[in-house]
Amino acid sequence: MVDRHSSAVRTPLLAQRRSRSSRQSYRSYVGTASHLGYTPGFTKRRLTTSRLAPRGRTADEVSPAQLALLAREWQLSYVTPLYRFRHGQLKTYARQLAAFVQSEKQQQGGGPVEAGAGMESTLKVSFTLVAGMAQTEADADTVFIQPHKALWSGWLACVGGDPDYMRSLPEDFVCLPLFCRGGAAWLSPLVEAWFCRTFDCCFGPLEINAVSLQWLAALWTNCRAQAGVQPLKLVWSLPVEPPLEVTYAVHPQDAWELWRSVRRPLRERVDEEEEEDEDGSVGIEEVEGFIKGLQSHFYRHFRLELSAGQLTQVSTALGSAKHGGRLKISNGSYMVTTLTLLTECALLKMPV
Amino acid sequence: MDDLARSLLQRLIRRIPRQVLKTTLSKWARLSLQQEESLDFTQPKFVLMEHLLALCAENGLGVKHITELEMIYVIDNPNQRKWNAYQLLEPRDDALSVEMIHFKEQFKVHLVALIRHVSIKIKKHTDEAVWIRLAWGDSLSRPNHLKPSYVVHHLQTPYVFVTNVTSKRMTLLNQALVLATRYSSIKDANLSGRKLTAIRDLLMKQYQQVFPSKHLQPLGEKNQIISNPQVEYEQNEQSESRLQMACEVFGGGALPELQTAIYKLETKLKDNPNKSMTGREQPFRCVVKFASTNILESLRHGAMTGIASTPVTPLLSSITQKGRNHFVITDKGPSSQ
Repeated sequence: MVDRHSSAVRTPLLAQRRSRSSRQSYRSYVGTASHLGYTPGFTKRRLTTSRLAPRGRTADEVSPAQLALLAREWQLSYVTPLYRFRHGQLKTYARQLAAFVQSEKQQQGGGPVEAGAGMESTLKVSFTLVAGMAQTEADADTVFIQPHKALWSGWLACVGGDPDYMRSLPEDFVCLPLFCRGGAAWLSPLVEAWFCRTFDCCFGPLEINAVSLQWLAALWTNCRAQAGVQPLKLVWSLPVEPPLEVTYAVHPQDAWELWRSVRRPLRERVDEEEEEDEDGSVGIEEVEGFIKGLQSHFYRHFRLELSAGQLTQVSTALGSAKHGGRLKISNGSYMVTTLTLLTECALLKMPV
Repeated sequence: MDDLARSLLQRLIRRIPRQVLKTTLSKWARLSLQQEESLDFTQPKFVLMEHLLALCAENGLGVKHITELEMIYVIDNPNQRKWNAYQLLEPRDDALSVEMIHFKEQFKVHLVALIRHVSIKIKKHTDEAVWIRLAWGDSLSRPNHLKPSYVVHHLQTPYVFVTNVTSKRMTLLNQALVLATRYSSIKDANLSGRKLTAIRDLLMKQYQQVFPSKHLQPLGEKNQIISNPQVEYEQNEQSESRLQMACEVFGGGALPELQTAIYKLETKLKDNPNKSMTGREQPFRCVVKFASTNILESLRHGAMTGIASTPVTPLLSSITQKGRNHFVITDKGPSSQ
């Protein structure tokens, strides 16, 4: 296990450290067939078969710092644990990053022409803590990075990370596996490069696989209060020539009723009138039942197997997620649930 | 040149790609040969624009001429607007013998009677299509040449294709069309798309039709299913029959490049393991959209490979059989609208 991954190691420092520590990868920790790669079939059964779906929160409960995370489309990556990252040193990091970006740009001889961003003036960066996201004691607080006057921002988060895994990390490591970035493309590689050299970590693309997209479809539909008039939209890509994209948009009220009907037999609820779920957990069988219900209605009309294709996108009033690793959270409700799911995806995707 | 002519020309030049611009200008034939040759198409567009504006001013060209240029461009490049198809119904006795001159006259007369302030330009194209450019005005303002509508009618067919007309104006336009073509009424054909040639070919069935036949001819280079020879032997009959059915429904050879199809479903959920949903009286409301660079080829390929079960469901076969791509499906069957 370790041998195979050391061939994938990017920095020599990492190899040295691994020999010092007995840290396991998240996947080997969990004990799945991880050396074959992330296999959704295995992991979904061994790992999260149920997730907490909290009672819908109103937008008022979102802090101003958290607001910065909403209503923008982010590109997702995973990040390996950061060596000696200190939440108390954010101001220092901000200065260092600014200096690094500045010097890199000068070395590149001016770089791309940025409309409005006068690079002659000193670039300032701010690192801010986004409190209130941590779910367990083991979760590190979310950090939001914003260079001033540059149309870019990014944030690192760990929400609902498995506490046992966190505890298994050697002391000097901080786990913030989910990295979300958005804006001017030229800044991303510079920020990542600085992180890599300062904290000896590495970044990689995080795709959102079909199972996770299905989870999001179900969890977001579960939040009836925030559904509004936006439909539940699912997009599949079918493997024909030329590729066919099928967009299936369901009226939010009808989606909610289908969802509720899938949950009902498993919960044996008596009360007809409840709006929210008292029992806040959602199981994978319910998610599967929901998606199957949608697919079979489609099949009845078109006799086209959606499962022959790939689910590539999900969106509701609460947000949107795309297979390529793009995420938008439109609403504070379920932000924590969504990020918990994505934190888990990031932890699973990490090679180390 | 007045301001309107200038801004019209500027917008046009910005939109037309350079290679196309050269051909369009020579077809227009409003510049002398020398003037045309003096234009340098390798220069950046804003330089070219200034030069062209100067030449047009020199020749005393106005709005009338610039709209001519625009029309030539649109006729040659019809595949970049959103077109809607309409169908004329119940021809009167003399409908099929309506000639260009008669149509042109009648259309102008009727439309102007309905809307006083409209600028009409009519041109006959080589393939029997009549092209009409309309700029709409009202009692308070002159016709707006910056937002023209285009109408295409193939004489001796009941089909009309329209782009960029508001629903309010469409009612008046429809009236004028019905009167000029000697039909009784007109309806929305529920077919729309960006490529005029594609929707026209679909509606008028100008692509290879395949009829039920015992002698199956494979599609030749289209039949790209690569498979294991042993498996192929087993599945030969099934795949041949799928191929045949796929082609009967969607056509053979190259298919019109229709890019979307939209189904608004208002049917009940059935076959649902949860009784609570099956008993539900209200329909399950959803909208399904198919999109691809060529959905007919995608669906045909789907039918050939078995992703779409054959025989092909009437919802999908209606696209080619009825020549439409907007559907509203209720439990009583497809809405007649």
